[in-house]
Amino acid sequence: MSVRCVFLAAGLAVFPAGFSPASEAMTKDQIKSAVVSDAITIPTPGEFFAAMDEQGQPNWTQMFLPKASVNTASREQMALMLGVLVADGYLAVEAQDGQGVKNTGKEIINLAKKLNVSQSVLGRGNSLSDFAENNDWSALREELEATQNEVKLSMVEQKDKDLVILVTVGAWVRGTQVAAEFISKNYSPSLAGVLRQPAIVEYLLSGLANLPEKLQESPLIVGLRQKLGAVLALVQTKDRAPLAPEAVSELAATMRELVSAISEGTTNE
Amino acid sequence: MLTAQEPAPTSVTARSRALELAGAFANDGYKIRDGFWAGTLEAGKPQFLQVNLFFGNEYWFSAAALDPSGKLSVTLFDEDGNLLKEEIFQDGASAAAGLVPGTSGKYFVRLAILGGDKSEFCLVYSYK
Repeated sequence: MSVRCVFLAAGLAVFPAGFSPASEAMTKDQIKSAVVSDAITIPTPGEFFAAMDEQGQPNWTQMFLPKASVNTASREQMALMLGVLVADGYLAVEAQDGQGVKNTGKEIINLAKKLNVSQSVLGRGNSLSDFAENNDWSALREELEATQNEVKLSMVEQKDKDLVILVTVGAWVRGTQVAAEFISKNYSPSLAGVLRQPAIVEYLLSGLANLPEKLQESPLIVGLRQKLGAVLALVQTKDRAPLAPEAVSELAATMRELVSAISEGTTNE
Repeated sequence: MLTAQEPAPTSVTARSRALELAGAFANDGYKIRDGFWAGTLEAGKPQFLQVNLFFGNEYWFSAAALDPSGKLSVTLFDEDGNLLKEEIFQDGASAAAGLVPGTSGKYFVRLAILGGDKSEFCLVYSYK
């Protein structure tokens, strides 16, 4: 059903395509002043996977591999891993693996507890479990994003806002790994086009560059910045062209290394 | 401007109105994002939001302002700032724009209000 049909079905009037209250292109100043917000500018892994689903029909069950618990005292590693687990949660939802969602949700809440997030976040674990029990996949997608947003909000409230970008990085790295690995094995230009997101990589790099000096010195963060810099070069294609097969394979390998580094707390710089 | 911004506080009413509008798509499989963009809008001073969309998905951006006397509009632009020919819905202080992006990447959402006083607003988006 087209976007127009949706509104007509809902009894709402739709103006014809082309009608628009704005009639001019944006100015350079307007482009520069555009708001960039972690909560809405950065897509969820669910959006990434939906775009892949539309074009490639991946076997999500094969792609969901539960991760071992992370045992670390490093807050930056925990925040990054929390993001990775959120992406895994979306993957389990796509695979319609209720037990996988429950286990991933439990790991998310365990990490959130270690990061001393507020009590309100902990209740999200029960909601994830309840929705998984009822196979309510749509509600689970919303609940995963809401859980991630609440964790981030709690980090801000507890003066731990530097960790917010790390959760976003972790989720993005894991989502891209899943997508790039699938596309490298099932290449088509339209699927590879999904991976062309230079503005997101720029946003993540900018966030990492703004971390406090102490965090900047962490080998994990140093390695992340270095590898994401290389990823930016890969996804900044000329004339918005889709990534070439070699670039997709390279992207998949880099993201695999990064997820492994986040899980283990080390990077090969 | 690549700077992180914390979500601005918004009235529950503006958000619930935006969500109500976005709910029109839910029956057709559109999933509503939990994240939102909120703030205060003044007539003659449009505001812009950067978003990153995926080729293969379809999107609706739904917004609501609290001042009922203003006429809200949502308009979409590509990464170079060129106006896109999207589907538009407009009903007083509520408006939405739908887009099927031709490529993955950066896009901009313009929110503007004609007439009325300063008004709180909230924008959410849905995808499938």
